[in-house]
Amino acid sequence: MRTYDGEELNVTRASRPCAWLGALRIVAPRLPRHQHGRDARVTYTCMAKAFACILALLLIAAAPAPAVKSLVIYAGGDGASTLHLHGEAARQQLAITGIYDSGAQRDLTHVAKYHCDSPVIKVDRDGLVTALKNGSATISIRVSDAGDASAIASQSLSVTVDRVGETIPINFPNQVVPIFTKLGCNAGGCHGKLSGQNGFRLSLLGFEPAEDYEHLVKEARGRRLFPAAPERSLLLLKATAALPHGGGKRLNIDSDEYRLLVRWISQGIPFGSPADPSVKSIDVFPAARIMERGGRQQLIVTARYTDGSTEDVTRQALYEANEKEMAAAGEGGVVSVNQQPGDVAVMVRYQGMVATFRATLPLGAPMGTLPPARNFIDDLVFKKLKQIGMPPSGVCSDQTFLRRVTLDVAGRMPSEKEMADFLADKDSGRRDKCIDRLLASNDYADFFANTWSALLRNRRARPTYAAGTYAFHDWIRDSLLTNKPYDQFVREIISASGDIADNPAVGWYREVKDPNQQLEDVAQLFMGMRIHCAQCHHHPFEKWSQQDYYSFSAFFSREGRKANNETGQEIVYHQRGIPSAVNPKNHQSVKPAGPGSAPLDLPPDVDPRQALASWMTARENPFFARSLVNRYWKHFLGRGIVEPEDDLRETNPPTNPELLDALSRYFAGSGYDLKALVRTICQSTTYQLDATPNQYNGIDRQNFSRYYPKRLEAEVLLDAVDHLTGVPTRFEGMPAGTRAVQLPDNSFNSSVYFLTVFGRPDSSSACECERSDAPNLAQCLHLLNAQGIQQKLASPGGRAARLAADTQQPDDVHLRGLYHLAYTREPDISELAAAKGYIEQALSKSKDKDKAATRKRAYEDILWALINSKEFSFNH
Amino acid sequence: MLRIDGSRARFCDGVSRRNFLKIGALGIAGLSMPQILRAEAAAGVSNPHKAVIMIFLPGGPAHMDLFDLKPEAPSEVRGEFRPIKTNVAGMEICELMPMLAKRADRYALIRSMVNCSGDHDAFQCLTGRLKRNMPPGGWPSLGSYVAKVQGPLNKAIPPFVGLSPKMGHMEWADAGQPGYLGIPYAPFKPSGEGKDDMVLHDVTLDRLADRRALLQSLDRFRRDVDSSGMMEGLDAFDQQAMGMLTSSKLADALDLSKEDPRVVERYGKGSPANRDDGGPRLTSNFLVARRLVEAGSRCVTLAFSRWDHHGRNFPQLREDIPLLDQGLSALLDDLRDRGLEKDVSVIVWGEFGRSPAINKDGGRDHWPKVSCALMAGGGMKTGQVIGRTDRLASEATDRPVEFGEVFATLYANLGIDIAKTTLPDLSGRPQYLVDGFQPIRELV
Repeated sequence: MRTYDGEELNVTRASRPCAWLGALRIVAPRLPRHQHGRDARVTYTCMAKAFACILALLLIAAAPAPAVKSLVIYAGGDGASTLHLHGEAARQQLAITGIYDSGAQRDLTHVAKYHCDSPVIKVDRDGLVTALKNGSATISIRVSDAGDASAIASQSLSVTVDRVGETIPINFPNQVVPIFTKLGCNAGGCHGKLSGQNGFRLSLLGFEPAEDYEHLVKEARGRRLFPAAPERSLLLLKATAALPHGGGKRLNIDSDEYRLLVRWISQGIPFGSPADPSVKSIDVFPAARIMERGGRQQLIVTARYTDGSTEDVTRQALYEANEKEMAAAGEGGVVSVNQQPGDVAVMVRYQGMVATFRATLPLGAPMGTLPPARNFIDDLVFKKLKQIGMPPSGVCSDQTFLRRVTLDVAGRMPSEKEMADFLADKDSGRRDKCIDRLLASNDYADFFANTWSALLRNRRARPTYAAGTYAFHDWIRDSLLTNKPYDQFVREIISASGDIADNPAVGWYREVKDPNQQLEDVAQLFMGMRIHCAQCHHHPFEKWSQQDYYSFSAFFSREGRKANNETGQEIVYHQRGIPSAVNPKNHQSVKPAGPGSAPLDLPPDVDPRQALASWMTARENPFFARSLVNRYWKHFLGRGIVEPEDDLRETNPPTNPELLDALSRYFAGSGYDLKALVRTICQSTTYQLDATPNQYNGIDRQNFSRYYPKRLEAEVLLDAVDHLTGVPTRFEGMPAGTRAVQLPDNSFNSSVYFLTVFGRPDSSSACECERSDAPNLAQCLHLLNAQGIQQKLASPGGRAARLAADTQQPDDVHLRGLYHLAYTREPDISELAAAKGYIEQALSKSKDKDKAATRKRAYEDILWALINSKEFSFNH
Repeated sequence: MLRIDGSRARFCDGVSRRNFLKIGALGIAGLSMPQILRAEAAAGVSNPHKAVIMIFLPGGPAHMDLFDLKPEAPSEVRGEFRPIKTNVAGMEICELMPMLAKRADRYALIRSMVNCSGDHDAFQCLTGRLKRNMPPGGWPSLGSYVAKVQGPLNKAIPPFVGLSPKMGHMEWADAGQPGYLGIPYAPFKPSGEGKDDMVLHDVTLDRLADRRALLQSLDRFRRDVDSSGMMEGLDAFDQQAMGMLTSSKLADALDLSKEDPRVVERYGKGSPANRDDGGPRLTSNFLVARRLVEAGSRCVTLAFSRWDHHGRNFPQLREDIPLLDQGLSALLDDLRDRGLEKDVSVIVWGEFGRSPAINKDGGRDHWPKVSCALMAGGGMKTGQVIGRTDRLASEATDRPVEFGEVFATLYANLGIDIAKTTLPDLSGRPQYLVDGFQPIRELV
C-alpha cells in the first residue's frame, strides 16, 4: 500500500482554493442542491480580456482557509456504507467529499491519503479500489492539514470481496462494446462509419451489439478472435499496434481493458444470454456541485441494470464539457475547471445512456446595491447573480436604451425626432411607452418577418417562385403585425394546404419537401430539438431512438402534392388515409407520435399535421414555448439561456433554468403572445443594463449581468449606412424607399454585394446559425473602401453635401445631428472639437474657390469615420 | 501621382495592380501597424506551416493529351502529341511539357480519377464531394475547412485565398464555398467580387490617412464591453484592410514587384485576359500563390485558362500546355528552393477528363468516366504514377482513385486528422471532412 506525503496538500493549500467559500457564504447562502445544481453552463472565449478582472478578484479570495470538519465517502451505487466487490479485477472509484466549517463541500478524492489494512484489495492514490482476493478489508482515509501534518479529518470504509477465482461469464454488449466506444474504435471516423474501415465494421457508438458480434466473430475467416491463443487475436494485435493499425495504438497490454478482452476471448467469446441484464440508466455523482475556480472534481458514474444491480463505469464512460473553455473532463472521470465564473455542464455517456454533471463556479464578488427589479425576469437573473456573486452593471442611459430597443425591436436606428421626443418626455414610464410604440409599428413586423422568413426557408429557388415568396413574406409580416398568437402561426404553417396563391403559409412546404427534412425542421425550429441523428441510429446525446424519429415523421406521411394547372403552382393537400411510417431498424410500421409521447390513433379523415400542431402547441408540451422564448431571449440579450438557441436537451442545460421555466410559463400563459413576450423582456432591468462592465463582470458571458453588445445584422447595417448618408440603396424590382430589412426573400443577396459579404442568410436552413456574426476581412475592407459606400458619401443629394452646403447653421449643429443619427447621443466636447477641428483644418489648407468642395469632403470623411466606428456597427 | 485608377479592367491586369501596390508601398506616417508587424514576426519563416495550392484547370483537361498519352491508340483517339520520357523511368508525359519531364521525380500522377460528377464546375475539385444529399448550407470547400479547423496563421494574412477572377462561366470562377461553415470562412478574393474594395475610389492615400486619423480620434468605444473577442477580431481585420490599402504583408504577397525578377521570369508571362469564358492564363498567379502560402495562407485556389476544347483541341493545347509546363515547373523549383516542398501540397486537376474519340471539330468532349491529377510536395512520395487506364484512356483499369481519397491525402498533408475532426453542420450534426475515404496509401 503506497501512501503519499503532504506535498500535494501543500500545493492545494498554498493556492487557498477554498478561501472564497467563506466570503461567498456571507453574500450567497447555499441553496438546496437540486436548485443550484440545475444552473449549469457558461461560455467564455476571451480569457485574456478577463485577466485584469481576475487579478482584481484574487483579492476577494484572501480570507483565511476554513477547516475541513468531516469527510463523506461515496463508494458508488446507492451510497451504502460497505463496498461489495464481486469477481476478479472488480473496481470501484471512491469520491471523498470534505465538509467544511462553512458548510461548503469540496472534492478531496485526490488529496486524501488512503490506507488499507489487508491485501484483499488495493487502493491507488486517486481512490480507485481494485479487488485482488476474496475477503474483507477496511480502508482508512485521511485528509491532513499540511501545516501541522496531523490528521484533521478521517473516515473509514469497509470492503468485502467475493467470487474472485470464479469464472463470471463476460457479457459482450455490457462489457466489451463499451471498450470499443471508449477507445474510439466505433466512432464515425473509424470502424463505426457505414462502410467500416479497411474491411472491419462496427456499429456507430456500439448501438448494435449483435451486428458487432457477427462482424468480429464471423468475418475475416475468424482471424479477429482466436480463443486458443487470445493474445494472437487480430483484434488485440491491431488495437495494441503490434500489427500495423491505421488508427494507431489504442490499447495498452497492461490495461484493464486488454485483460478483459483476453478473458472474454479465452472464455470462448460469449455473447451473453438473453436473460442477462442490460443497462437501464446511468447516474453521476455528484449531480451538481459548487466548485472553486481552478478546482477539480472526481465524478463517479454508476450504471444501473435491469436486474437492479449496479456497476461502477467511471472509467468506461465518455465525458464532454459543454463549454470547453471552462472545464475539461479527463480520463477517470476527473473534471478540472478553469478560472471563469459561471456554470458548466459535463455530459456523461455510457451505452447510449446520458447523465449530466453541473458545476457552478461562483465569483464571490460583493454585490453592492442591485438596480431595481422590474419583473420576474429581474428577480431570477438577480437571484442567479447573487448566487454566484457577480454584481450587475448599472442601468443604461435613456439614449442608449432608445438606440438599443429601436434596433432590437424595429431593426433600425432611431430618427432624430424620435430621439428628441423621447428625451423630452419626462414621464417616468417613457421607456415602456417607447417599447409599445415600436411594437405597434410596421417596422417591428418588417424586422421580425425578415428573421422568420429566413428560418421558414422563404427562398426564391426559381425565378417563377417570386410571387410565392412575396406572398409568404407578406403573410409572415401580417401575422406579426396583427400579433397572431404564436401557436396559431405555427399551426397554420405546419398544417398548410392549398396553392401558395390562396394560402401563402404553404410556402414552407414548397421549399421543404422531404418528410424527413420536414420533421427535422419542425423539431429544430419549433421545439429546439435536433433529432436528425435518430434517422440512422439512436441519438448519441439524447434519449431519442429511430422509433421516435419515424413516429414523428408519420405526422407528415399523408401530405400530398399535385399540380395546379391554372396557376402552374403546386397544391399541398391531405391525402386521406391512416398515417404511418416504417422504422427501418425493425421494418415495423409506426403510428404518429411526438417525441416522448404516446402514439396516436388517427382516423383516415384527420390531417395528421393538425394532430401534430395540437400536440406541439398544447400548454403542457415541454418543448414548444421553451424553444421560442429561448430564441427570442437570444435575439434581445445576445445569448440564449440555452446555447445554441435551438439545441435544448438535458445534456445541454440552461444557465438559468428557473428563468427559462418562468419565461416559458409566462409565454404559454399569455396565449403565446409574441408582442407581450417582447414587451416583458424589453421592460426588464436586465435588458436595460449597461453594456459597460464594472470591476467584476467584464468576463461574464452567460449570466446577463450586463448587456452583451451585438454586431448589427447585414440588413440593419446597410439600412443604417443608408440612413446616415441619406442615400438609399435601390433593390432591383422593389419600390424606391424599400429598406434591406423589408426584402421579401433571399434573391437580393447575390445582387447586392453588401448583403453577400455581410452574410445575409440564404434561407437554406431552419437554423439561426446560418447567419454568422463573426467578422472577416472582406467585410472590413468593404465598409472602409467600397465604391458603393464612397458614392453614398459623395452623392450630391447625400447628407454630406446637404450639411456642407447649409452654412446658415454652425458646424456644431450639423455635427451634433450626425451624432444623433449614428449613435443616438450627444457628442462630448472633445469629440465635437475633433470633428470641428477636422473641418477647420481642411478649410485652412484649401484655396477660397475650393472651400465649398473642401467642406463637403470633410463632411464625407466624418461620415466615413462614423460608419467605420465600432459604436456605429454594434448594438450596445 | 497618388490618384489611383480603380477600374476593373485595369485591375485584372497584373501590371496595374502592381502599380497600385507600389503606390501603396510608399507608406504613410502614422499608419504603422505594430500588431501586424508583431504577428508577422511571430509567423516568420522559422515557423513553417502546412498549406495547399490548388490549380484548377476549368473545363476538364484532356487527360490523354497531358499526362496519359496513348501512342498505340488508333489515330482518331491518340491525337497529335507524342509522349516523352521523364527523369523517372517508365513515366511519360506529353511532349509539350519538357520542363515537367525533367522534374517528374517531384510529382505524382494519378491517371485513374473516377466518379467525376460530370458537372461543368469546380465543385467536386473544391470539396471532394458530390452535390446530392448536401447538408443544409452545403458542403464547405477544402480552404474553408482549413480556415475553420486551423484558423489564420496570423491576422495579417487570410488563411484561405481564392485567386480566380470573374469568368464568363462563373461556375469555374468558384474559389471554394464556405458551405455550412458560413461567410467568415469564405475565401478572401483579391480578384473576385471584393476586388473593387481593394482599390481606392476617388480617395487618395493622403485622404485615406486623414480619414484614418479622424476615425482614431472619434472611435472611442470601449472595447472591453465585448468579452466575446468579436470586436477585437474586427479591429484586427480593420487594420489588415487598412494595411492592404496602404502597405502590408498581404499586399506584399500579392505584389510580384517584391519578388526577385529572375524568379518572376521563370514563371513566365502568360496573359491576364481570360481565355474565352474560362480563366486567365496567368502563370504568375502560381507565384502569387506561393507568396501567399509563404506569408501564411493555408489554402490558395486558382483557375488556370480553359480546357473545355470541344473543337480545335490541339491548337489550343499547343498554346496552353507549354504555359502550364513552365509555370508549374517554376512552382515546383521554387517550393524546393525555398524549403517548402515538404509543407506545401500542390494539386492540379479539372472537373473531368475528355473523350478518347476526337470529334468532327477536332475537339474532345466531356468524359466523366476518368480523369487525371498531378500532385506534388506535401512530403508525399512523388516520382510515381498511380492508376492506369485502358488502351484508349477511356476507363480506369487499375487502382481507381476517388476525389475523396485526394482530399483525405490533402488533409493528412495539412496535419488534420480526418478520423477525429468533425464540424457541426447547420442542423448540428457533426460532419467529418471526408466520408469513407483514406489518404492515398501510395503517396503518404
